[in-house]
Amino acid sequence: MIKWIAYSCFFGSFLAFGLGALGLFRFPDPYTRMHAVGMGDTLGMGLLGFGLFLLSPSWILRLKLVAVLLLFWTINPTMTHMVAKASLIQGIKPAAETSLKEG
Amino acid sequence: MRQRSLALFVLLLLFWMVISAEWDLQHIVAGILVALVSIWFWYDLGSRQPHVLPARKMLRLGYSLVLLVGWVIQANIAVAKTLLFSRPPAKPMLLMMQPNLNSNWGRVLFATCITITPGTVTIDVDPETGRFIVHALTQETGIDLLYWRLIDEIVQLETKMER
Repeated sequence: MIKWIAYSCFFGSFLAFGLGALGLFRFPDPYTRMHAVGMGDTLGMGLLGFGLFLLSPSWILRLKLVAVLLLFWTINPTMTHMVAKASLIQGIKPAAETSLKEG
Repeated sequence: MRQRSLALFVLLLLFWMVISAEWDLQHIVAGILVALVSIWFWYDLGSRQPHVLPARKMLRLGYSLVLLVGWVIQANIAVAKTLLFSRPPAKPMLLMMQPNLNSNWGRVLFATCITITPGTVTIDVDPETGRFIVHALTQETGIDLLYWRLIDEIVQLETKMER
C-alpha cells in the first residue's frame, strides 16, 4: 500500500515537472515562466521527497530527506527572486499584457 | 545575544548530525568545531537575528507554515489551470504593495513565502520603505495577495518579538 502511495507521489511529481516544462513554452516572458517552473520546484520536489520519505528504510535517511527539502524550499525562492530582480535590472520588459497595480 | 548564539549553535549542530554519515566521536567533535567557527564568523549578524521565540509562538509559526503548505498546493493547482485552460495563457500583473511589516526578518519571511507560492514572485523589496514589487501570474492572484492572511500572522509574530 505504502509503495503505491509513493508511486502516486512520483507520478504527481512527474506531472508537476512536466507542466512546468510546458509552461516554459506557453508563457510569454521570463517572469511568467518562473511561475511555471515554480510548480516543479515546490509541489514537484515536495511529492518526490514525500515519495522517497515513504520508501526510505531508516529514520535517519528520512530526517536527511526532510533537511534537504527544507534547504531546497529556502534556497529556491531566494534564487528565483535573484533571477527576477536581475531580469528587471537588465531591462527585460514584462509581456505587453502585464497590468500595473498599486496596492 | 548569547541566547541567540546558543540557539544557532544547537541548530547548526543538529543539522550537522543529521547530514553526517555516522555518529561517532570524530563526527561529533568536527560538528561542534564547525558550528563554533560558523557562529564566530557570523557573530556580527547576531544582533540582526530575531529573538528566540517562546514555545507558544514557535507553535504559532509552525501552524502558519502548515497553512503555507496548503496555500502552496492550492497555488500549484491554480497555476496548472491557468497554464492548461486559460487563453491567452496568462494575464500577468506587476503589483506594488506595502504590507504593514516593520522588521527586516518579517519582510524577508513574507517575500520568501510570496515567491515559494507559485503564481507570485517577489521582484524587489525596498528596505527603507518596505515596499514590495511582486509579479503575479494572473490579476486575481495579485489582488488576493493584498489580503493574504499570512501578512496578519507575520505582523502578530513581529509585535511579540519587538526589541
